[in-house]
Amino acid sequence: MKKNVTIRSPHSYAIKKALFVMKLSFLLVLVSALQVSANVSGQATITLKMDKVEIPKVLNAIEKQGTYRFLYNSRLKSIQQQVSIDVSNLSIAETLTKIFAGTDLTFKMLENNLIVILLNGTATQDIPVTGKITGENGESLSGVSVIVKNGSGGTSTDNNGIFKLTVPENGVLVISYIGYQTQEVPVNSQSVIDIKMVTSNKTLDQVVVVGYGTQKKIDITGATASIKGSELVKQPVMTATQAIQGKVPGVQIISSGQPGVQPQVRIRGTGTMLGGANPLYVVDGMLTNDITNINTADILSVDILKDASSAAIYGTRGSNGVIIITTKQGSSGKMKITYNLNLGIQNAAHVVEMANNVEYANYASAASGNPILPGTISTNWYDEILRNAFYQDHKISLSGGTDKTKYIVDVGYLDQDGIILENNFKRFTLRSNNEFKISNQLRFGILASYANGVSRNVNLGAAYNDAYRAAPIIPGIVNGKYGNTSLYQNVGNPILDINDNDNRTRDNRLQGTAFLEFKPIPWLTLQSRISGDLDNNVNKAYGYAFAADTVTFITPGGNQSSLHSNLNVANANSFWWVWDNTATVNKRFGEHNITVLIGTTAEKYNATDLTGYRLDVPPNPSLWHIDNGNANSSQNGGSGTVWSRYSYLARINYSYADKYLFTGNFRVDGSSNFSVNNRYAYTPSVGVGWVISKESFMQSQHIFDVLKLRASYGQAANDVTQNATAGYTVTLTSNLPYFFGGTATSGSAITQIVDQNLKWEINDEMDIAIEFSALKSRLEGELGVYDKKTKNSLAYVLIPSTLGSQPNPGSSIPAGYVLTNAASFENKGLELALKWHDAINKDISYYVGGNITFNNNNVIGLNGGQPYIDGPVGANQPYVTRTDNGHPIGSFYVQKVLGVFQTVDEINSYTDKNGNILQPGAKPGDFKYEYNSDGKLDSVYAGSYQPTAYYGISLGMNYKNIDFSVDAYGTMGGKIYNGKKAFRQSLKDNVEKSMAYNRWTPSNHSETEPSANGGNLPASTYFVETGSYLRINNITVGYTLSPALLQKTKVISTLRIYAAAQNPVTITKYSGFTPADLPGSPTNTGIELNAYPTPRTFLIGLNIGF
Amino acid sequence: MNGKKIKNLLLIATLVINASCKKSFLDISATTPSPSNDPSVAEDLVTGVYNSLIYIDPGGGWNYDTHGISFIAATNIMSDDADKGSFLDDQPGIMDLDNFTTTPANAFVAALWNGYYAGISRTNNAIDALATAALDSATVKRLRGEVRFIRGYYYFNLVRFFGGVPIVTYVPNGPKAAESDTTLISRASVSDVYNKVIIPDLQYAIDNLPLKSQAVVGRITKGAAETLLAKVNMYLGNWQNVLSLTQDVINSGQYSLVSDYSSIWKEAGDNNSESIFEIQTGAYNNTDGGIPLYSECQGPRNAGGIWNNPTFPDPTGDRGWGFCTPTVDLINAYEPNDKRKAATIIFSPVPPQTGDTLWDGYVIPTGTQNLYYNYKAYHSEKLESFYNNRDREIKNVHLLRYAELLLMNAEAATQVGGDAMTPLAAVRSRAGLTTTSATQADIWKERRVELAMEHDRFFDLVRQGRAAQVMQAAGKNFVAGKNELLPIPATQIALSGGRLSQNPGY
Repeated sequence: MKKNVTIRSPHSYAIKKALFVMKLSFLLVLVSALQVSANVSGQATITLKMDKVEIPKVLNAIEKQGTYRFLYNSRLKSIQQQVSIDVSNLSIAETLTKIFAGTDLTFKMLENNLIVILLNGTATQDIPVTGKITGENGESLSGVSVIVKNGSGGTSTDNNGIFKLTVPENGVLVISYIGYQTQEVPVNSQSVIDIKMVTSNKTLDQVVVVGYGTQKKIDITGATASIKGSELVKQPVMTATQAIQGKVPGVQIISSGQPGVQPQVRIRGTGTMLGGANPLYVVDGMLTNDITNINTADILSVDILKDASSAAIYGTRGSNGVIIITTKQGSSGKMKITYNLNLGIQNAAHVVEMANNVEYANYASAASGNPILPGTISTNWYDEILRNAFYQDHKISLSGGTDKTKYIVDVGYLDQDGIILENNFKRFTLRSNNEFKISNQLRFGILASYANGVSRNVNLGAAYNDAYRAAPIIPGIVNGKYGNTSLYQNVGNPILDINDNDNRTRDNRLQGTAFLEFKPIPWLTLQSRISGDLDNNVNKAYGYAFAADTVTFITPGGNQSSLHSNLNVANANSFWWVWDNTATVNKRFGEHNITVLIGTTAEKYNATDLTGYRLDVPPNPSLWHIDNGNANSSQNGGSGTVWSRYSYLARINYSYADKYLFTGNFRVDGSSNFSVNNRYAYTPSVGVGWVISKESFMQSQHIFDVLKLRASYGQAANDVTQNATAGYTVTLTSNLPYFFGGTATSGSAITQIVDQNLKWEINDEMDIAIEFSALKSRLEGELGVYDKKTKNSLAYVLIPSTLGSQPNPGSSIPAGYVLTNAASFENKGLELALKWHDAINKDISYYVGGNITFNNNNVIGLNGGQPYIDGPVGANQPYVTRTDNGHPIGSFYVQKVLGVFQTVDEINSYTDKNGNILQPGAKPGDFKYEYNSDGKLDSVYAGSYQPTAYYGISLGMNYKNIDFSVDAYGTMGGKIYNGKKAFRQSLKDNVEKSMAYNRWTPSNHSETEPSANGGNLPASTYFVETGSYLRINNITVGYTLSPALLQKTKVISTLRIYAAAQNPVTITKYSGFTPADLPGSPTNTGIELNAYPTPRTFLIGLNIGF
Repeated sequence: MNGKKIKNLLLIATLVINASCKKSFLDISATTPSPSNDPSVAEDLVTGVYNSLIYIDPGGGWNYDTHGISFIAATNIMSDDADKGSFLDDQPGIMDLDNFTTTPANAFVAALWNGYYAGISRTNNAIDALATAALDSATVKRLRGEVRFIRGYYYFNLVRFFGGVPIVTYVPNGPKAAESDTTLISRASVSDVYNKVIIPDLQYAIDNLPLKSQAVVGRITKGAAETLLAKVNMYLGNWQNVLSLTQDVINSGQYSLVSDYSSIWKEAGDNNSESIFEIQTGAYNNTDGGIPLYSECQGPRNAGGIWNNPTFPDPTGDRGWGFCTPTVDLINAYEPNDKRKAATIIFSPVPPQTGDTLWDGYVIPTGTQNLYYNYKAYHSEKLESFYNNRDREIKNVHLLRYAELLLMNAEAATQVGGDAMTPLAAVRSRAGLTTTSATQADIWKERRVELAMEHDRFFDLVRQGRAAQVMQAAGKNFVAGKNELLPIPATQIALSGGRLSQNPGY
């Protein structure tokens, strides 16, 4: 309830008046501050009889009764009136009401029985008022809306934060600005009113960056969400989006636990088949696909445009939603320095328990029919390749500024070991954001960041497959020599898999944006913004030479060897620029408020890469250069990519009395990636909103502070060109050699049939929601439904081979297929978010929040396309997913296991309609599969990784200087394909401990686990498991030293220490490593083959400000 | 500044940006060569046609194959010359081909269909590009002759594998081309495939190609076209044509038998005097550029345990995958003292007997998976060119040899009169054998051993009308009237909307 109103001494008024004003100002402060407790006092009753006396005399008489005191402006004409009064034992309020009846006076009761007499307003005159509006740090705020309550006047502040307005002397000013609490300030005849704005914590007051502009959440008609940087930085994650997990309904984050790898984001389900399902990222205006270069601590806010109506302003980039990242700005005032430290340790949150040597020997003996001796060694391969990994993250920030300039300089360093041997990621980041006010009309800013990321990757696929399969009876590594698993069972030694290859990537990225803003007149803003993203990525992969001999192995032999060392160097450079030019008009005509944005944006991407390869490069890392290898083994490669886009955009926001809202968006996108006939895409959207709580009929209720209904419809398109570059043009596949006269000649071929009419994917989306804030803003919430249809979705369609398509190793399009607009999908869902926050007393406050999203994904048309199969597992399972009409994208499509054959009789009686035995080769203990009525093996849809619901829960509490919070999230209804188990393919492969004990035996009649076997099983429902889980994602406890204590140091201004656990607990029935983090393309997500086990982190941190 | 001025300014700014950007900004030239940005593509496309002989799919012939593992399976393994090999469960699809239990879903059959049509597409694209190429007309004719030879050869293989197939001799216009031209997805008759494509293509090649001595090694020659056309006529029973075409090749003086039969399948024997049509392989980009898996899949296979062969840098690993293992029936088909037996078959030891010592000194150790391997596919990593990529070992494949031409000449002579004895005796004497008679039966017997595992035996048996008899005698499930042809791939039938008809019995 705090309001900061100060009244400046007027320079043109007499001292007397000044004193009067000061008195009034004192009064007003009281009024403002103490309103809460008005009507509380007034116990004493009044008995009084007077006839035809001036009001001050009456009041004087009441004062003399000893209880009440009055405050009034004796110059007021009304107070000079004569009144008669005759009351006995009446309350003060009733008494005063009688006294003032027939006058234009009214009264207000304050604390301590102080009563203010006020003018009840009509007979007043208009006066000119001026003032300056400032932010919390004293900076002037321009464009702040200042309107007269219940009146017709209104204006907004100029570039210096000054407003001028003519208002009734007893009027009330309503001052509102996005991101700040709206204030109502009575004029009370003052001619100068300076106002300090207070940042708002209420969701609906918050500013949302909506693309090429900002809006207050309450004014938005589409589905958006906003998260503050301070909320993200609590979590020790490398990429900001990881910290969003569970925080926003409709947004699902699928992380890989691997350091340096960006998580996948699915906003309102999967609306495309062929990659391109990730949202667009916009960092300070720069469009990008990768935000691993952004230090989370640099982020001011992350805004998410979820639905087509809000994302339509990004046109063909918007259909998967848009994530807008705004980095921090300095603020004027004295320089602030902060240092933030996180130190942590990570380990695998959950490791599948494998059989030990004895359990393995028993199982493998039973499976192979040959006795296998357990020996004396029992190797736990996961223990051999996993480790406790250290994590450190440092960040120093310097910020400050003057009226004319603002700056912030951030330096960060992150060093994160992977939980698997050798895996590591280091990142150095530097950011400098500066803003200059050249004149009152001209503002210039430059925001730039540099990131240097160095990662050491390991051969996860081989290491994980091999660790799962390698027999425990083989030693891992003894005295520097490896146990020979390949000699024993044709599986590489997982430790050697990791050590025989050194794969390092160094990424240098310079990203920045510069803008010039010109405000020739207060209601017009012209902005030109140019952004660039320069990336240089160098990968060096060295493979060591080693033979299957006694130098490398304890026992020689087997086929894990590499006769020649090899070095692969890849150098990729890219530059992507975006140039936005916008004009924004903001005008208020009485109750009509209108904002119009028009603009153009152009962008171009240019990339080249170069690769070199040679054998026999010496093993010393300082010699890892192409020249040091055998020149006769040289190979090289290189390619280039260029595309450009040009777009027009327009948006109109209109509101009437801040009650009725309308938004319209329109964008036209032209892209070089489509043929001239299909070059332009048009994406319109409209939205309407109704702030019901502003209606007069809502004024009498006390439940809702804000209640808003919104509905929108829009189109956004999917720009898939990153996956299918220039899909419409006929290009040649080159480097197809033939040998004439003994010499190689390079040939080429047209290997793809192209659809020259390739078009954009279009998303049609309806969105309806209620937003509210209730019970004195303690409860905030949002309930929405959406229906999103993706049309013209690109799909690969198989065509007759006689048309001539064939493999093209340079293309992502599989052989035999044509990329065309063939599919349509639907995502229907419901989102609910609620948050309750309250303070029990001045020491204890708390909040409880939760959100849940139900989403139903369905393929609704393949328009002549065929079901698309994907999800290669290996072994006997080439594909396990199928994308077809009536099922979610990437559904598992596998044979159905009906049970386990218990007896020979059961096998013989399992026949088709003609009496033929369906599984004649089966033995008791084998799976019984479902056959169709024709006696053919049947495959069934067994669910998909896409959950039917996902949710997040967060709790927090502050007690004095201690803060405590818990975040959790989870999903329901998704399925996981246990790919690593399915990949098992030999009698000598190890088994999970549970398989060793639960397997079918003549004495253990299991109905679910087959008898001991050598893997190579067909894809079936046996491998499909539940993907539902609940994960406690973060627990943080912090302690903030009291400012009073710190003041004594005279150096440190803020100090917080904290401890956190990231991903400590996951509750699930899934038997594998993790149900949560299985990235993949839309058609093959959810197969746990070589997933990186989710790390669990325990960390301590320090945040110190100077 | 007033509102109007600003509006004007904005309008101008927008127009300027538009004018400068709209057209040129979005018209970006592709970064890979295409007929539109590289005028020299026609010759490259012809080389690309030759490349299709080596591979359509550089990853191996699993889905698109012309001469890789699917080709080996549907020619050698399917015949009585060889069995599938490897271990029992390895590649059941090949086992089905071997046992004549193939279904329309067989992936290897599909790979052949896909591979040959992909190759044909390359020929059509090259012919298209040659029509407008900036080359002199003699060069265009020669290149077109080379390409049409390969197209004719591909159709000849298709018609032998599948019978009548769709005739595609132009570049279809986009993915929906079959909607307007259903011949693209309808089977032509066998005689149309021969008379409308194969024979005209080969005749064009004969008319426009130079003799071997005038051609760059590896390019298709007039002799190759005449030999192939002779072979086509042999399948059609036009024996007079066979006789005259083969006689023409003999009279050209371009070819002669090499003295050492075994040298033909060594690198040193590449493009020797006997070679008429040979797939060229070599090193490309400093690595091996052979037919993917051709040698590797037929190499001797380790059955487990240690191979301790100290003479090689890699003392332990497999030499290959062990497919296409010669049958005892083939081994028994050789007459005593036939030099070709030892040049064709690698004998792997039955313990405790020691195995063959191969020509490069490699000793077949104990512990191989199979008893016999195909020597003609063996590549020496030690004494022949090898750049560390075993998947693509450099190994030329001999598709037409002078010895076969002589046998065709002899067989024609037995049918229409002439000297069958001389050509037959020439082939036999090189093998160290004498010749007493030259009947058609003698020549058929000779073809088998001379051309063993050279991808001809199965087609020969079908041509000779005795496939069922021979295969059934060998204990295979061969059904007469069905198994002479492969099934049309089920996927292709589905994609044609049922227009493609299935072969009888499938």
